[in-house]
Amino acid sequence: MRTRTIVLTVVFVGLTASARTQEGHPLTGTWAGDWGPSGASRTHITMVMNWDGKAVTGVINPGPDAVSLTAVSVDWGTWTVRIDAKGIAAEGRMEDIGSSHRRIVGTWSQGGAKGDFKLTRD
Amino acid sequence: MKRLVIGALIAAGAVVQAQLPVPALYDEWRRVTLDGVVTRVAWANPRAYVFVDVRESGGTASAGTVANWAIEIGNPLDLEQRGWSRTTVRIGDSVSVEAVPARDSSKRALMSAFWTTRPRARVFSGSPRASASESKGPAPRWPDGQVRLGPPAGRKGYWGAPSLSTMSESGSKVSVRADGLLTNLSDADRVAPFQPWAKAVYLQRQRTLLKDDPAARCLPTGGPRQFHTPNGFQFVEQRDLGRILVLFGGGNRNWRIIYTDGRPLGQAAEAVPSYYGSSVGRWEKDTLVVESVGYNERFWMTNGGLPHTEALRLLERFSRPDLNTLRYEVTVDDPRTYTRPWRSEWTVRWVPDREIEEFFCEENAESTFIR
Repeated sequence: MRTRTIVLTVVFVGLTASARTQEGHPLTGTWAGDWGPSGASRTHITMVMNWDGKAVTGVINPGPDAVSLTAVSVDWGTWTVRIDAKGIAAEGRMEDIGSSHRRIVGTWSQGGAKGDFKLTRD
Repeated sequence: MKRLVIGALIAAGAVVQAQLPVPALYDEWRRVTLDGVVTRVAWANPRAYVFVDVRESGGTASAGTVANWAIEIGNPLDLEQRGWSRTTVRIGDSVSVEAVPARDSSKRALMSAFWTTRPRARVFSGSPRASASESKGPAPRWPDGQVRLGPPAGRKGYWGAPSLSTMSESGSKVSVRADGLLTNLSDADRVAPFQPWAKAVYLQRQRTLLKDDPAARCLPTGGPRQFHTPNGFQFVEQRDLGRILVLFGGGNRNWRIIYTDGRPLGQAAEAVPSYYGSSVGRWEKDTLVVESVGYNERFWMTNGGLPHTEALRLLERFSRPDLNTLRYEVTVDDPRTYTRPWRSEWTVRWVPDREIEEFFCEENAESTFIR
């Protein structure tokens, strides 16, 4: 039991350390969070983005129900991110930019519904 | 009262050491004078401290109370080169310190000048002692005529201070401080040919005074920054094994391997990207030409916060025009970060007849050292 605790602790510390140190393009990586019209009605989001040198590509909710991103743009003066996918439009500001666990917070439109969203980089 | 002048330490200490970088930690626009009695001397890497009980002055709610200040006096290896030893200041000494206070309200400061009232205290200069044994001469060579990047046969030595402490494109005139901060942020476009996102990231790091620097958390300084790290480096040429080891005296005393056995450049797709990448080298007359790929994105490529991606490729050229000079030229090719390949160069000074001293970045991590 004690050995297991030590091993888990080491693994956790290692993960924490590595997570803190991810650099590179600010959008590259896996982001997790949710969106919804109210605090009581939320829908989970996983978003994976990658920078190939010319464009940011990616998917929402990777797996059988994945939705490909059609366009991602950033205003680097204000750190405002615009994300488009089929039936989805989101716009938000990047926060805590220097952290590997940076966030994007803003508004999300899907179908006829609108709400807010918050994504945190893993 | 004798005076110990260590003003140059602010610049020396600003080159990244452990924990928060100096610009983010101390408010260089303020000064405090601290008069008190030494209670502890922590002679540890990478930052030595003198702890002083200081009686608060009048006019404040805490007037008359005693506070214990942690005064950072610099890196022990730098201090030793300036004639300071671990017994120069002792517990019980009455001292007066001019210092730069921390940005927060903690009782912490960075020394700029130091006086002690103890009789017969030595007076120190702010610059390192000149090496008494420095010699001149041509680059040393192996019996077959190949230039040696290490010491001459039977001698000691290593590569010490670089001529520049940060990197920008060759030919551009950019005013940069020793810690990597631009004197004028509008010069950013002249540092490197940034893609828009990379310029935004670089400026964000500059505006936040480099507070998120991975090297400040003792992570390895990969890429060209390895040759800007304090405390030097040395080459160990293992010619029979077809490789050159580069041993770093700063940071975490890491090493890098440059293979010269003729293997092709490349890294298996499943290999883990690393801080020092995968390097192969070849000699072109008297110049060692090294190509590297396979870098991770977890380090800043230089003091000051130049970004990069895993697409980074480096072409480095090492030459030794004479015994005391290493010329380093690097071409940065990362099309995901920069609009075109670009080049930078600097020289490094030989430290003769000495070994790299022990230095561990992690030794006095703030969480365990500063109260």
